[in-house]
Amino acid sequence: MRITDQVARGAALTIFVDGEPIGGFAGETVAAVMTAAGRRRFRIDAHGCARGLYCNMGTCCECMVRLDDGRGIAVRACLLPAEEGLRIATGQPLS
Amino acid sequence: MGRTDVLIVGGGLVGCATAFHLARAGLSVLVAEAGDVNAVASGQNAGSLHFQMERRFLEQGDAVMAQAARVIRLNRRAIDEWRGLEALLGTPLGVAMNGGLMVAETPEQVDLLDRKARLEEAAGMATRLIDGGQARDRAPYLGPQVAAALWAPDEGHADPKKVTPAFAAAAVHEGARIVSHSPVRGLRKVAGGFEAQCGALHVRADRVVIAAGAWIATIGAMLNLHLPVFPLGLTMNVTERCAPFIPHLVQHVGRRLSMKQAGAGNVLIGGGWPSRLAQRADGTGFDLSRPPAPIAGSIAGNLAAATDIVPRVAGLNLVRTWTGTVAVSSDQLPVVGEVPRMRGVYVAGGGSAFTLGPTFARLLADTIVEGRDAGDLADFSPARYEHLNSFMG
Ligand SMILES: Cc1cc2nc3c(=O)[nH]c(=O)nc-3n(C[C@H](O)[C@H](O)[C@H](O)COP(=O)(O)OP(=O)(O)OC[C@H]3O[C@@H](n4cnc5c(N)ncnc54)[C@H](O)[C@@H]3O)c2cc1C
Ligand code: FES
Repeated sequence: MRITDQVARGAALTIFVDGEPIGGFAGETVAAVMTAAGRRRFRIDAHGCARGLYCNMGTCCECMVRLDDGRGIAVRACLLPAEEGLRIATGQPLS
Repeated sequence: MGRTDVLIVGGGLVGCATAFHLARAGLSVLVAEAGDVNAVASGQNAGSLHFQMERRFLEQGDAVMAQAARVIRLNRRAIDEWRGLEALLGTPLGVAMNGGLMVAETPEQVDLLDRKARLEEAAGMATRLIDGGQARDRAPYLGPQVAAALWAPDEGHADPKKVTPAFAAAAVHEGARIVSHSPVRGLRKVAGGFEAQCGALHVRADRVVIAAGAWIATIGAMLNLHLPVFPLGLTMNVTERCAPFIPHLVQHVGRRLSMKQAGAGNVLIGGGWPSRLAQRADGTGFDLSRPPAPIAGSIAGNLAAATDIVPRVAGLNLVRTWTGTVAVSSDQLPVVGEVPRMRGVYVAGGGSAFTLGPTFARLLADTIVEGRDAGDLADFSPARYEHLNSFMG
């Protein structure tokens, strides 16, 4: 859900979360795009349970997702700006 | 007024472990903790179980290095202590003892490792110097800069968040009483014992064990004793979790570095980088009630050493940095035993008291209960400060 009244947004873009296209806008973080689309699972914990956005400011690391670009680097979704075509993977086991 | 056989000042690892052994031997024990059990050094440390001589003992020349070799006798006892600790306390403590490597990069560092190995051998500690190739065979995560390593087969790590609470629970089970948020104030000697205010409790004790970590000198001052134990600020870093790849404890002989991978998969990176102790607002000295402030250069330096030695960590996120205060004596050796100037007052702390704390506690409790001579603790007795305390007490 997004506020629409009196809000100027950046250009529309699409990111891919676990392969699925999700629409967002330039200037939003990956966490914002995912949350607006109702995607609440970011990482999984040591017991295999889903974990999600908690501090939304880069402190808690609960929102770690992996870049789906072959390198698999973990990034904090709440700090990562969404970019057209960005591919990320959630709930990845440890690598 | 309550009375107890032994009042223990401080609910860190040393205080809780000493309480456990004393209570088990049938003494009545009260542990008074100013804040919460395990809230400072004992719960904030790196969790290293290092049994080879530490780097800090090698920095100040050969005389200090030779003197420090005395600590090896305690380290050897600590190996057995840690091997039996989970069984003793009946609970998992995250103990992993898969061996440790102290690495060297330069020829001078290799030479230092070699001299250290010979001192350790003479003191009966099994360490083995291996070259860089052999080190990488054993530990494939080590980078190409590692030129040699000293291998100590028993080293490892344990979980500081589990160890002290387990001792505290076991102590209570044995009948000890632990009161938190009860700072000891006005500790004083009275005829046949001691009296103190512990939070809301007024207590009379036959004996007092000062297990107050960085506050040992402060508690000593209440009794008009000098206990030269100094607070030092340290820094720790931890990465995100990843699949297990470092089963060992990794240290460096020439740079400040300790590394290990915790059970959950996070890589802990420390090794003695400083943080800055807080100052009291009125400029009268250190304020130990507040955590030390982080120093950016310490974090950068620590991570640079880590990525040089274990290149893979460069691809991991740093998830947290924290600071803590460790207590170190004027000669760097632990201070454990009775104060000759004031019988009935015991001190226990200083240095690497995560590795050694359970051993201090057992040996100290033996001397208290059995009135035994200090044995393996003799080298660490506060008797070495009698030149200061002959004016005190
Ligand atoms: C960042 C860091 C990393 C470290 N890494 C390692 C390591 O890897 N391996 C290792 O062996 N050691 C390590 N150490 C050292 C180790 O943590 C300490 O030596 C050990 O925890 C000391 O335990 P303690 O019980 O003596 O002190 P503490 O845990 O400090 O406990 C002392 C207690 O006394 C209480 N107290 C103070 N004043 C009063 C008062 N007036 N009344 C009542 N209570 C009082 C305090 O609140 C505190 O809880 C490290 C230390 C730090 C800070
Ligand atoms: S939600 Fe806490 S770091 Fe992103």
